[in-house]
Amino acid sequence: MEKVLEKEEKNAGGTREALKVAYYPGCSLNSTAIDFNTSIKKLYGTLGVELEEIEDWNCCGTTPAQNISRELVSELSARNVRLAGKMGFSEILSPCISCYCKLFKAASGMKKAGEGDFKIFSIVEHLLFLKDIIAEKYAENRGRIKPFEENILNNLKPVCYYGCVLLRTENIYRFDSFENPTSMEKVLEAAGVNALNFSFKTECCGAILSLTHKEIVLKLSRKILDVAIEAGANSIITCCPLCQQNLDMRQSQINRYFKTNYKIPVFYISQILGLALGIPFRELMINKLFVKPDF
Amino acid sequence: MNDSNNYYEQIRKELVEQVEPNIYYCYQCGKCTAGCPLSDVYDWQPNEVIRLIQLGRVDSIINSNSVYLCVSCEICSSRCPQEVNIAAVMSHIRIKSWQYGLFRLKHISNFYKIFLRIAALIGRSYEPLLILTLNLLNKRFFNDFELMPGILKRRKIKLLPEPVKGRKGIAETIKKHL
Repeated sequence: MEKVLEKEEKNAGGTREALKVAYYPGCSLNSTAIDFNTSIKKLYGTLGVELEEIEDWNCCGTTPAQNISRELVSELSARNVRLAGKMGFSEILSPCISCYCKLFKAASGMKKAGEGDFKIFSIVEHLLFLKDIIAEKYAENRGRIKPFEENILNNLKPVCYYGCVLLRTENIYRFDSFENPTSMEKVLEAAGVNALNFSFKTECCGAILSLTHKEIVLKLSRKILDVAIEAGANSIITCCPLCQQNLDMRQSQINRYFKTNYKIPVFYISQILGLALGIPFRELMINKLFVKPDF
Repeated sequence: MNDSNNYYEQIRKELVEQVEPNIYYCYQCGKCTAGCPLSDVYDWQPNEVIRLIQLGRVDSIINSNSVYLCVSCEICSSRCPQEVNIAAVMSHIRIKSWQYGLFRLKHISNFYKIFLRIAALIGRSYEPLLILTLNLLNKRFFNDFELMPGILKRRKIKLLPEPVKGRKGIAETIKKHL
């Protein structure tokens, strides 16, 4: 954390030492959340922060491993942290929230065992550190936003949705309130995007029950869409690949199941920041959303 | 049956002695249940789970759906005025019932098994195989079928797996626990 700030100061001083962080995409960002992955890479490219993917990373084990054995999930995740260590990194960015929690806990265990001091960042916390750079780049690129992207940004009335595990999980570093967090709003504000108030910021979408008990997920996700509309929003900004999938990909299922007519695009925070910093729509893979923004 | 009874008692002891001694501080305010996103599908509500442990009826919890459906969102623990870590209690019962072969919801245990076997084989998740085998095992052949064209069109799924070089070690780790 301090290291990042230190480097940031150096940047401001004009020495322009490259910011660099190890990058753990995880399985979701390699497939169903490929748009999250790509938009993060584009955004970080613009911000001048280098992401170096951990070589030969493996699955963190996520819910299945966590629910059958505590040792299994920490052993699987510790391998990834060690690999980053071998590459000379002590800071890892893990955008998928489930992976982030698993890696964070593994790193805590390793610290206790004297196996090194690793800092794991979620995307929201990391962007919060880069807020000043975001504001700087936003000011720089303001004139360069194309009309198509500008139109989306101008008509955007979003709410920020954090999901349940980012800030509430036991033994995870709570960098913000777990009942009413405001980090995403602060980051977006630095890029000129204002989010509306939202009471369901940290409600649960039903998570991976989507594979076994879909009705539950459809019901919980519907509530989130409903409350977002009530708040006056026309879109949702997320930071979790599973939440995004449940709200976006399954929105058609929600509409069929409940005979509703929701049409709310669900963006990743990196996509909206990217737009505001002048990165084209397609490069951020916003065209891969199931519910397209047409406003 | 005797075996199971021993397991139930063992789990109860671990819960009240190691995992969460605060269990006895619960005064049934119901704040956990009020916030729980799944309370309306649970057989036992979170506050009832805590009460059942106080009463020594872990068997009743294990034979209900509550601990298996819990998604560990941890609203219950974070809001408890008596600082009972309800989510950790649910998680402990879930893990132990898996280890003792008492896990109740077949669809979910099938998912865990398939997911981890694929992770052992490849080192990472591989969605096409996961969804295919899960639908077959759970006999829901056309589950999410309607989403497939959209997923394929957007190339949101990798058609070929990307095996990890160190997958042998990963497989050993997984097999130790599965």
